[in-house]
Amino acid sequence: MSSSNSILNVSGLSKSFVEGTQERVVLDNLSLTLREGELVVLLGRSGSGKSTLLNLISGLDVPSAGTVQYGDTSLSTLKEEDRTLFRRKQIGFIFQSFNLIPTLTVLENVLLPIELSGTVSKAEESKAKHILDTVGLGDRMNSFPDVLSGGEQQRVAIARAIAHDPVLILADEPTGNLDFETAQTVLELLQHLIHDVNRTMLIATHDREIIELADRVFTLQRGVLKELDAENEALK
Amino acid sequence: MRSSLLWRSSVRYLFTHPLLTGLSILGVALGVAVVVGIDLANVSSERAFRLSSSLVTGTATHQIVGAGNELDDTLYAELRVEYGFRKAAPVVEGYASYGGESEGTLQVLGVDLLAESSFRSFIGGAQSSLDLGQFMGPSSVGLLSEETALSLGIELGDTLKINISGIPHEVVLLDFVRGLSDLDKQAMSNLLVVDIGTAQRLFSGAGKLSRIDLIISPEEIDQGRLSSLENWLPSNVRLQKASSRGNALDQMTKAFTLNLQALSLLALVVGMFLIYNIMTFSVVQRAPTIGRFRALGVTQKEIYGTIISESLIIGVSGTVLGLLGGVMLGNGLVNLVSQTINDLYFVLEVRELTLAPFTLLKGAILGVGMTLVASLLPAREATTAATTTVLRRSSDETRMAAALPRLIWTSLGAAVVALLLLVVPGKSLILSYLALLLVLLSFALMTPPAVTLCTRWIRPVLGKMGGVVGKMAARGVETSLSRTGVAIAALMIAISSTIGVGVMVESFRGTVDQWLSYTLSADVYISPPSPVFRRNDATIIQDVERDIRALDGISGAYAVRTAQVQMNDFQNDLIIVDPRPGPTESYRFKEGDIASISERFASDNVVKISEPFSYRHDIHAGDTLQINTDNGRIPFEVAAVYFDYASDVGAVMISRNVYNRHFDDPFVSGIALVASPGTDIDNLIERVQQVVGGRQEVFIRSNRSLRQASLDVFDRTFTITQVLRLLAVLIAFVGVLSALMALQLERGKELAIMRANGLTPRQVWLYVTTQTGLMGLLAGLFAVPLGLILAYVLVFVINKRSFGWTLQMDYSPDVLLQAVVLAIIAALLAGIYPAMKMASANPVSALRED
Repeated sequence: MSSSNSILNVSGLSKSFVEGTQERVVLDNLSLTLREGELVVLLGRSGSGKSTLLNLISGLDVPSAGTVQYGDTSLSTLKEEDRTLFRRKQIGFIFQSFNLIPTLTVLENVLLPIELSGTVSKAEESKAKHILDTVGLGDRMNSFPDVLSGGEQQRVAIARAIAHDPVLILADEPTGNLDFETAQTVLELLQHLIHDVNRTMLIATHDREIIELADRVFTLQRGVLKELDAENEALK
Repeated sequence: MRSSLLWRSSVRYLFTHPLLTGLSILGVALGVAVVVGIDLANVSSERAFRLSSSLVTGTATHQIVGAGNELDDTLYAELRVEYGFRKAAPVVEGYASYGGESEGTLQVLGVDLLAESSFRSFIGGAQSSLDLGQFMGPSSVGLLSEETALSLGIELGDTLKINISGIPHEVVLLDFVRGLSDLDKQAMSNLLVVDIGTAQRLFSGAGKLSRIDLIISPEEIDQGRLSSLENWLPSNVRLQKASSRGNALDQMTKAFTLNLQALSLLALVVGMFLIYNIMTFSVVQRAPTIGRFRALGVTQKEIYGTIISESLIIGVSGTVLGLLGGVMLGNGLVNLVSQTINDLYFVLEVRELTLAPFTLLKGAILGVGMTLVASLLPAREATTAATTTVLRRSSDETRMAAALPRLIWTSLGAAVVALLLLVVPGKSLILSYLALLLVLLSFALMTPPAVTLCTRWIRPVLGKMGGVVGKMAARGVETSLSRTGVAIAALMIAISSTIGVGVMVESFRGTVDQWLSYTLSADVYISPPSPVFRRNDATIIQDVERDIRALDGISGAYAVRTAQVQMNDFQNDLIIVDPRPGPTESYRFKEGDIASISERFASDNVVKISEPFSYRHDIHAGDTLQINTDNGRIPFEVAAVYFDYASDVGAVMISRNVYNRHFDDPFVSGIALVASPGTDIDNLIERVQQVVGGRQEVFIRSNRSLRQASLDVFDRTFTITQVLRLLAVLIAFVGVLSALMALQLERGKELAIMRANGLTPRQVWLYVTTQTGLMGLLAGLFAVPLGLILAYVLVFVINKRSFGWTLQMDYSPDVLLQAVVLAIIAALLAGIYPAMKMASANPVSALRED
């Protein structure tokens, strides 16, 4: 499912790091547009810059050159504080290593992005509980993350990523740490999010099953982003 | 706090690490307790002195005092009758010791009840029900507060046995002083009120008064009454403000109390390192969590606020506990402080601890404030690190490694500023302690680079001794420098403070011992017990003195007398000595020449002054000192400045011949006997005992036993310093324990990986203890030079600026060795719990991702 309304425009984006005396270019003048409701997959070897691109798109990091534009908002021109506030409201994150807050319960983890933006209303709490029910963790709401399995933790992370209705969900290897069966459960969940709840999502992954769900697929090689067409070998 | 979930997460973190949270609270609590305890002890002593002083002074505004210790009571009669001044009251006061159930000293106040009504309200109150005839009669009767009588275990009509200058006396308790306010009750706690005639009998001063109290209103002063009275008074007496005596006594103890406060602050500085360490650990350990928060949109300010709020919880909890602990500690320390004041300065009885609100507030502000200050850097670290790097654990160490050159330069900068502050001439103690603090800071900043260097040297050695585990242990200290550096610095500071204070005390003791060896040149010393050990101002009965001088087997008998005399614009001890024949001197001179002084000292108006006196008043050889004598104010030439460690207030020495010319005071406070060749000293002591008989209780001590008694008092006056030293080590121990625990717990995963790869629990134990032992060794080694620098500053700068003493730096290598061993033991002890925990931990759970 795709829509013609673009929510993200990345243009001329470059990022390089200085290592000792040498400069290493990770992303080189890449451009990307994401449209509302589409699932875009980003392929690339380990160290190709996928995570760096996600960090730049989320405002966690700043580019060496180029712009990241959400509607009228240019992330590149915002100060650190404003980028954080933007991320808080507009972006949901799903990490490979789950990154749940160990000192908050499952429900509190899901409510965290909402509460950071203001107080939690009854409706929002009900919604969070509903999402947890949806991801199959309705009975683990008051558990702490350390007693959950990897798959359960990732489902909490997914619930947390969508609870505050972000414009964009970014996922970095969401099934990378999961066994086949658990990964299948998570995939079904992602599929539901994309097709039934109409979310926009950018996923960096190697998982072929996710690629099959994608509206578009990009590869990142030596800092250069390239869109693959359906006939590409990599997609077969 | 914007988000209650953020706050909840923070509180849960503290509760899920109860041991670390508890240790950091304990660190703050100990630091605050030491500062508050010392302050309360000082404040209580000062308040007890003020209360008793103001009770005894009453409403008097001025006092007439004699040139020496007393003045004739005929002056009082002339003042009332001839001059017509009615608001005057004669006073005789002194000290008496009592035995029985509890030993102590009473202040005896002799008053004329008929003149008292406007002066001391508590005596006026007693008048109404009192049998005046009996009180003012020939028998010795007195008044006590009911509480004092109770504490002495006596009732109305009972006899109180007291001892004045070694002479036993009995005073019957005639009545209680009634209707006292709570404050007056405290002030009355060691006061015995007697009739002035009784007091004159007790203190062997028929016709003598200690002073005459006066009330002169501001209007009368405006009308010129004060200057008219001054003109009328004979030249050998002086009119002074009633408050001036209290202020002079306050000045005496100023340096003593300031030094105690500074030492107590050292404990707080060590505590501050502890907080810094714990907060750094809490930030480092939660770096991934902080990274997640940041990724989810928590701002830097919110993270900062959270860390600061946590430290506030620790600070407030620690401070509350510290205040309670401070009150308990103060109860113990107040006895030590008052004991030292009694040994060195004046008689002081502190019955209860004063809970001064200002002290408690100061403790609270210091505790919470220092915790917050110590947390600023870790909080900043947590927030300023880029979110992406916060998610990586190694970033902290990368930053630390990058910061090493900056640390070295800042350390050198602090050292240079400290040096400048130390060489700036002046008497400022605050600047001296600031310099000391900068020296500590300089060494603390230099610790991480020094640790890096040393571990690189030590690694091959440990590798040979303990194989790969030994090598890893050394490497581990270096790779976790951001944590190990702070822990080593905290332990180093605590250990160095024990070296510094220890060497200072040892140097001081050595100097005093050496001084005693050449000052105490006679064989037998006789003196009556004196209320203040270092002020030998009780007098020997003249018949007793005469009989002692007439003993066989002595080649010389030299008397000494201590009197309080007004000189220039202050009052000071005047030491009257019998001049010895020939140019022999038992004192060593800092200024002046022995050969040229001896003869003039015996006959001319010249005096010698002690080094502290010279320092306090900036008077030197060749200057003139104006002394109020019974013949009026006489100029005396200062012929020499001598080394003296008997009193930090300082003393002026005058020859008996010259003193007799100017003062009507034939009494002596002590006699030193030089035995003739072949005389058995023990036999001489026995003969002195027989001669004195039961006429007066006196101490008869051989040269050796007097020297030992002096050193015993010296040791007693430094007991409180030693207590503070131990407390600083205790706080450091808590600091090291928490730092090592934090470090090893943080390494749970690393150790789990090693366990998974075949490291046995015994090897884990070896790894952890080798590492903690190494940290202790490094802290101990670094503490040696720092401790010696601290000792140097304490001996040559702070002692000099506080008291004016020239001390010889003197220490044994044992002190330094003990310090290194203490550091290693403290570190090893602190490492036991983490080692046990790590060795018994299940690697599977540690290997889990979250």
